[in-house]
Amino acid sequence: MKRKNYLFFIKFCLVYEHFVKSYYVDTMAAIGFLILDLMEKEYYDKKWKIRTENKRSRAFQMEKFKKLCTIFYIMAKIGLFTFGGGWSIIAQMQNEFVDRKHWMTEEQVVDYMSLAKSFPGVMIINMSVFCGYAMAGVEGAVAAAVGLSTPALIAIAVVTYFYSSLRDNIYVERILNGVRSVVIPIIVSACLKLKKTAIQGRSSYGILILSFLVCVLTGVNKLLVVVAALVAGLLIWRGEIPDDVS
Amino acid sequence: MTYLRLFLSFMKIGFCSFGGMTMIPVINDEVLRYGWMTASEVMDIVAVAEMTPGSLGINCATFVGLRTAGIWGALCASLGVMMPSLTLSMVAAHFIFRLKGNKLLESAMRGVRPASMGMLAAAAVTLGITTFLPESGVIAWKRIGIAVISGSVLIKGRLSIPKTILLAAVLGLILG
Repeated sequence: MKRKNYLFFIKFCLVYEHFVKSYYVDTMAAIGFLILDLMEKEYYDKKWKIRTENKRSRAFQMEKFKKLCTIFYIMAKIGLFTFGGGWSIIAQMQNEFVDRKHWMTEEQVVDYMSLAKSFPGVMIINMSVFCGYAMAGVEGAVAAAVGLSTPALIAIAVVTYFYSSLRDNIYVERILNGVRSVVIPIIVSACLKLKKTAIQGRSSYGILILSFLVCVLTGVNKLLVVVAALVAGLLIWRGEIPDDVS
Repeated sequence: MTYLRLFLSFMKIGFCSFGGMTMIPVINDEVLRYGWMTASEVMDIVAVAEMTPGSLGINCATFVGLRTAGIWGALCASLGVMMPSLTLSMVAAHFIFRLKGNKLLESAMRGVRPASMGMLAAAAVTLGITTFLPESGVIAWKRIGIAVISGSVLIKGRLSIPKTILLAAVLGLILG
């Protein structure tokens, strides 16, 4: 920092000298450099300050590391029990992150769900990236995505190894029967939980019923449904949010 | 070289599909083109993906990677399929976070929230039809029974979801 101040002083002298000798062009150029220097100095000062503050608060970093580990662990737990196209993770995320940890709100879960469905790629990985980012930034997103896919990787490795013996096993078939049937009540319970945040006002019911019918009866891309609902929301509320309904 | 090719082709699969069963044709094309698997093995993937937890995309990537290039291949392929989430969704999440509190965004989201509830309900219905009515005219009463028992325990009894899934697995083992 001291060197920076020294340079700044030299440039100031340069301006003064040019001004005294009345070289106008040179004076203007020197003033320009002076301003650039000032801006740069401010920038470096800010960066330096942030860096030192972060370095000082080791406790803060430990806290963040702990949070990341917790996210990884919870996501791995969720990933271990994801059957049936991944819709059931919505219910588990509500349970873990909204009800127990209070790191997210119910609204965030609903918003991210529609976004995750309308972005390319695997829906549940998108969902975990959104939620991880909301909870702990970029590192949180990576921890959540990796955590979610770790149990799947291990399970696949094991199943591939024993595939031929598992394929025709009657007990495996029975267990899968049970698991496939339980996925539906899980999704229904997630849906019931969403009702409080999703339904606000009478027009929400219209959007709900319309989107439900479109999704059940036609195989239209979910992205279209989300975009249509987005436009509908803009047209209905137009940026004026009534406070009375909550 | 195989690792890089696995990574790139699964990245392509990730960017070109929207999850779920829509991935199957894209995976089919890509895998058959390089001669990594045969067509009947691709059908095996779906069976394995149903057998294990996790989404179809990740499971397929791991399965193909494991068959073609061992454990490192599996890692490369699943990293590839995660790429769109880690890039596109990350950027989107960043912008959503910065726009928080914006009135227009809030009103748009008010439209999207009931729609996502509708999508969730629709997913429950379509999954329910394929699970409870496996063939036309056949009603799988045992599956309905398992769903009702475990569902009532889940919603009324407030059992946690992993425990409910384990309960359903045991019920399935007993009832068949």
